Amino acid sequence: MSTELGLPVFTNTSEEDLGGRWGMVIDQDICTGCQACVAACAMENNIPFVGEVDAAYGRSLQWIRIERFWEGTFPEVKMTPYQPMMCQQCHRAPCEPVCPVFASVHSAAEDLNLQVYNRCVGTRYCSNNCPYQARTFNWRDYTDSSLHPELTTLHNQLNPSVTVRRRGIMEKCTFCIQRIRQSEDAAKAENRELQDGEVVPACAQACPADAIVFGRIDDPESRVSQAARSARGYHHLEELGTLPRVTYLKGETDGRRG
Amino acid sequence: MAEPVMLLALFEDIEPAANGITKLRELGVKDEFINVISGLPFPGRVLGRPNAVTNVSKIALLGSVLGAGLGLFLLYGTAFLYPLQVGGQPLYPIPMAFISTFEMAMLGLMGFAFLGLFVDSGFPSYTPKNYIPEISNGKIAVFFQCAAAEQRQLIESLTRSGAVSVKPAEARQL
Amino acid sequence: MAVAARPIPRAQQHAQEHDDPREHLMHDPKPRGEMNAMVLESMHTAGWRFYAATGVLMLLVLTCFFYAWYYMIANGLGVAGVNRPVFWGIFLVNTVFWIGISHAGTFISAILRVMKIEGRRPFTRAAELMTTFGLVQAGASIFMHMGRVWLAYWLFPFPNERGLWPNFHSPLMWDFLAINTYLLCSTMYLFLPLLPDIAMVRDHTTGWRKVPYRILSLGFRGTEGEWKNLQTAMNIFAFAIIPVMFSVHTIVSWDFAMAMRPGWSSSVFGPYFVVGALHSGMAAVAIVLFMIRSTMKHMTYFIRPEHFNLIGKLMLIVSMTWAYFYFNDYLVPWYGGDKWEKLLQEFTEKGPLWYLWYIMLIANIAVPWLILWNRKWRSTPWLLATVGVIINIGMWIERYVIIPEGLTINRMPFTWRLYVPAVEIFLTIGTISLFMLLYMLASRLIPIIPVWEVQEGQAAHMLRKVGKAQVSTVSDIE
Repeated sequence: MSTELGLPVFTNTSEEDLGGRWGMVIDQDICTGCQACVAACAMENNIPFVGEVDAAYGRSLQWIRIERFWEGTFPEVKMTPYQPMMCQQCHRAPCEPVCPVFASVHSAAEDLNLQVYNRCVGTRYCSNNCPYQARTFNWRDYTDSSLHPELTTLHNQLNPSVTVRRRGIMEKCTFCIQRIRQSEDAAKAENRELQDGEVVPACAQACPADAIVFGRIDDPESRVSQAARSARGYHHLEELGTLPRVTYLKGETDGRRG
Repeated sequence: MAEPVMLLALFEDIEPAANGITKLRELGVKDEFINVISGLPFPGRVLGRPNAVTNVSKIALLGSVLGAGLGLFLLYGTAFLYPLQVGGQPLYPIPMAFISTFEMAMLGLMGFAFLGLFVDSGFPSYTPKNYIPEISNGKIAVFFQCAAAEQRQLIESLTRSGAVSVKPAEARQL
Repeated sequence: MAVAARPIPRAQQHAQEHDDPREHLMHDPKPRGEMNAMVLESMHTAGWRFYAATGVLMLLVLTCFFYAWYYMIANGLGVAGVNRPVFWGIFLVNTVFWIGISHAGTFISAILRVMKIEGRRPFTRAAELMTTFGLVQAGASIFMHMGRVWLAYWLFPFPNERGLWPNFHSPLMWDFLAINTYLLCSTMYLFLPLLPDIAMVRDHTTGWRKVPYRILSLGFRGTEGEWKNLQTAMNIFAFAIIPVMFSVHTIVSWDFAMAMRPGWSSSVFGPYFVVGALHSGMAAVAIVLFMIRSTMKHMTYFIRPEHFNLIGKLMLIVSMTWAYFYFNDYLVPWYGGDKWEKLLQEFTEKGPLWYLWYIMLIANIAVPWLILWNRKWRSTPWLLATVGVIINIGMWIERYVIIPEGLTINRMPFTWRLYVPAVEIFLTIGTISLFMLLYMLASRLIPIIPVWEVQEGQAAHMLRKVGKAQVSTVSDIE
């Protein structure tokens, strides 16, 4: 839905429209934990380096993180499947109603959760309310070259399609909305529909095991829809009712999906 | 000639002041020409005066209605002007209306009560007025207007009633 | 058969039986002129200790408040201790703490006035000053926690070119409405009973110092119309500001209760926080009254052991109410079995910060319950003030337990991390210093005792002979 100016129309979507448009499936059983997705996401989305001290203190700005857990004590340690965790683009996102300035809003057009960088005043209520802890905050001016002259050359690899954020702003995974828009624009220019698999976010592109699948969930024949219907599929923290767009596949379903 | 003069009778305490005011009324000075200024509030019946009327409550009530309207606009009006969907919540939610309407109605009530005081009492006013500093030290001052001819009689009977002093009133810079 | 009555031994007679009525302020009237002179003298007396204390406070405010805040704005919130997942730390603790302190002022000057508890008369203004200055610190703390505080005006609804409005679905915007309402209304409520006393100071001041008092007194004289308007306005405020007071801290508690965090989304938070606010606020009133009584001239006439007794009783009642709400909030997750809330409770009681939990319980429950039951101890100013300090420490820790410790444990264990405060410590010292500095300046600029209200009370009180006793009675002249 869009007006003549191409602006998305914001309407109050009904509860029945739970299918949504863009979604992701992550297969934990083939994820190797190599963190290529983390690196690619950082490169694609201009995520700055925060330095050793801040990273150790829990301030690294990576939009996707690989969570690893283990059972038992050394030497009888058993690894559990790696868990890439990023913004789940909840249909009923708890981060949205709590932002006092509407910097975190829902896009009816793409059914994504939008973070409006230039509107954020940094109250950080959204990150407190995110049950997946998917949001990160710019604690300092990490990309300011006057503060960090050693990083000046890294500015050459900044992605011009993505804003560079300054201090005081929240950020999170956007499902590479810049890539979604670019592909949509290309398809419109060529007067055709988007093909399944044409939009590939940075993490899916980099994954050597092809554990991340991305596409249109409202198309039942797309790769991601078929993968999401797997018996191994589940949603994180489903009991909270956030209706996330990311489906995880893991061998032990714990009865989470029928 | 019945040229009116303004006199000031100063009293130490409530009883003599009430007696003095009764005396004034007996001697023909009307209520609207008597003005009692004191350092403590006295209800009308204590000093034998008509009850003072105030518009502050009406003004405050108007303020609360305006405030409630503002509260409703902030929630529903702004959502209508620029609708944005957040968290699957309805665009025109009901629970928040209680909060927003209540707070703004209270702000309107109290803010207009405060302004009502200003409006009704003519605050701020820095012109010279009938006043003496002894009032804030606890004395009760009775300002009254009477014909020049009756002056002496009134002064005498007030002094007999227990007035500390009765003399011409002068408007001074406060 | 007649029962022979035996006289009660003197030692067992009730302590109150042979009270000298003049021990009570309301039965110890002085001429208004004399009371005015006492209050004016207390305003104009400033010894070397006052100047030394003010100098130290100014230094602390300049460094720990203004410079530390400037440093944090210039370098970003990275210089504070907040991280993921503890996105809110001591700034929010301070916000809740200062709003709590401010509630006591309203409790005393509004609720005690509405309930016609005459003991409140000499210290309503001292309490209201706590409200105004406490809210200033709370507002400062809110601004401190914002990432881009220079854009804070975006929270204010004003028409603009982009047509954007703030989001009233957010508890932070409810906060904005409620705290602004409370700040404006309690400042107006401070000013209303102050008006006749400012007129009194105006009448007794000469020279250049008279000018600000003349301007502030608005031309108030004390005519019947002015008193009627003033009392009507004061009555409206007294009744209306009570629900506002309850709503403000309830809305502040909803900042946490609306969040999807274990330990935070508890439906008891609304009244729990209100009672907690009263708890720390009443304790702060005891401290402030003790400071006023021991440092300012003639204050021993106005603020007497009977007032500390009243505040001590209120402190005990509120402490019991707080314990009731805390037990509610504790028992439900302990019993109910939500695994994240149990993990949070385990972390609070047995984790690295276990000692904070114990200090909180001892300071908020054990200390008041052990000391405040005794009337003599309650009436001892320094003892009550000490209990007040202990309670305030306990209540600050209670908010620390709720906010940073509550945020450490969440449903994503990979992100759990402790909170280590950094520049927040300086800024906390800064807000406390600013509060004390504002209070010290106010104590010398405006009369801290509402003299006209004290005289009004004294005029209404009298001793009546009932049998063989002199009984205190209050006449209700409205």
